[in-house]
Amino acid sequence: MDEMAQLNLLRAEVPEPDLPGLRAEEERLMAAIAEPTGSGPARRTSRRRVFVRVGVAGGLAAAAVAAAVAVSLDSGPRPALPAPPPSAVAPVAVIRTLDHAAEAALRRPEPHPRPGQFLVVRSRSLEEVDSDSARYLSDTRRTVWLPVAGDATGGVIEEQVLAPKAYPGWPIPPEARTEQGAHGPDRLADFDGRAEYLRNDYAYLSRLPTDTAGMRRHLYVGAKRGAEGDRDAWQRVGGMLTEAYLPAAQRAALFRAAATIPGAEAVASAQDAAGRAGVAVAMTDPEAGTRQEYIFDRHTYLYLGARTVIVDPAKARGTKGGVTESTAQLSVRVSDTAPRIKKN
Amino acid sequence: MSESGPTATEADDASLIARSRHEPEVFAEVFRRYAPQIKRYVTRRLGPDAAEDVVADTFLLAFRQRDRYDLSQPNARPWLYGIATNRIGRHRRGEVRLLRALARTGADPVTESFTDRSDERVSATAVRRRLADALAKLPAGHRDALLLVAWAGFGYAEAAQALDVPIGTVRSRLSRARTKLREELGGADPTSIGEEALHG
Repeated sequence: MDEMAQLNLLRAEVPEPDLPGLRAEEERLMAAIAEPTGSGPARRTSRRRVFVRVGVAGGLAAAAVAAAVAVSLDSGPRPALPAPPPSAVAPVAVIRTLDHAAEAALRRPEPHPRPGQFLVVRSRSLEEVDSDSARYLSDTRRTVWLPVAGDATGGVIEEQVLAPKAYPGWPIPPEARTEQGAHGPDRLADFDGRAEYLRNDYAYLSRLPTDTAGMRRHLYVGAKRGAEGDRDAWQRVGGMLTEAYLPAAQRAALFRAAATIPGAEAVASAQDAAGRAGVAVAMTDPEAGTRQEYIFDRHTYLYLGARTVIVDPAKARGTKGGVTESTAQLSVRVSDTAPRIKKN
Repeated sequence: MSESGPTATEADDASLIARSRHEPEVFAEVFRRYAPQIKRYVTRRLGPDAAEDVVADTFLLAFRQRDRYDLSQPNARPWLYGIATNRIGRHRRGEVRLLRALARTGADPVTESFTDRSDERVSATAVRRRLADALAKLPAGHRDALLLVAWAGFGYAEAAQALDVPIGTVRSRLSRARTKLREELGGADPTSIGEEALHG
């Protein structure tokens, strides 16, 4: 053995760390990257009503069911399956994040719920509530029992309404506190007026395409043209991930398809409604003055939740950087039963 | 799945860095490509505690200097190791102190947290002590060149780029450093010492 070979053995037992082992170093870099003084154009953001509520009769209608579904429900017939716009080359960080997310989805143990059973989804949700004079965020812990076969009208919800939070730049009105406490079990929805292509129940989601191009076409069904259509498609991604269970194959296809939507951008650091930090991919809505982000764990790339951040204070009527909506998907399990609904 | 370095289908480092000038978050990918191997390299030289600082500083500096990166160089590895070598330079005395400790006692403060086996290569201790002693005695620039080649797997041209010296300088530093090592290991036939130490 010559001296170079001997030297090679010296301290050879020092391992190459994996990325989680470099967390401290990575966080320092990420903090620098996130500094607003960074070069280049300011990051864009947007505001847009992202959530459409599935109809619920009576009671907690306002805060009850946020199904995270795109808004473009304009009436009127549409040509069937128009070709989606061409894919865009997304920033590397977007592709990397979504690619890791797709792989992470495929690695995950997968529940195989049967008809007659329920998917039990726990989540946390911060949603905007506005009246004429006030705006605040309703903070709730939600558990929903979603029938494996059938839509949300067969579902059950239990909610814990927590202390309200401020909508960025607005005082919390006194009436915001009146809802606090436990609610339910209640029926999840009395009617579901969503278009077919916006359904996010398991029976529907598990029949969606498992390839990137097919999933992409699905995201653009009924979407408008141009940048607005891209934002519709982007919102629909969230619709399939929020309080729903998307099987692994479709989930992976969804993340890969999302990476092809023009206008996607990377966000170095974001927090979900449960306070979990991660990296995000996002799209800005210049008209609304907000940016809608999908957040993933920085190391496992599992999907954590979504949030909407103000980028244009004038358009969004709130303070820049403020969070106007967020969710956290906490757990999914399968159950044979759902709680009995309280009689009013 | 290797995280170190781009694969054929990925963007090269120069285009990532170019892009990061407008989209700073793209620079995170440069970190993911190179931080693991650089951390190992710096740890081998300075031990885990100093390595954390040096690696964090290296990527912060690289990020802040990304506007000055020469985009005609597709591979950012020499640039990053160059910055890391500079930062290591601030810990020169610490590095030498650790090498001397190993030379004196046979116990290596750098690796102790990575080896939980009590039998760790006891028989090779004699060689390690002599190597450490030789490394401690080398001029800093010679040690930098030698270890980039031996531990980071650099060729002469890459090492020259990293150290910002002519390639001839790398060649002569390396040759002198290797001679020193050979002498320290026992003159003309280091192999006999190595074998003896390993088996004896």
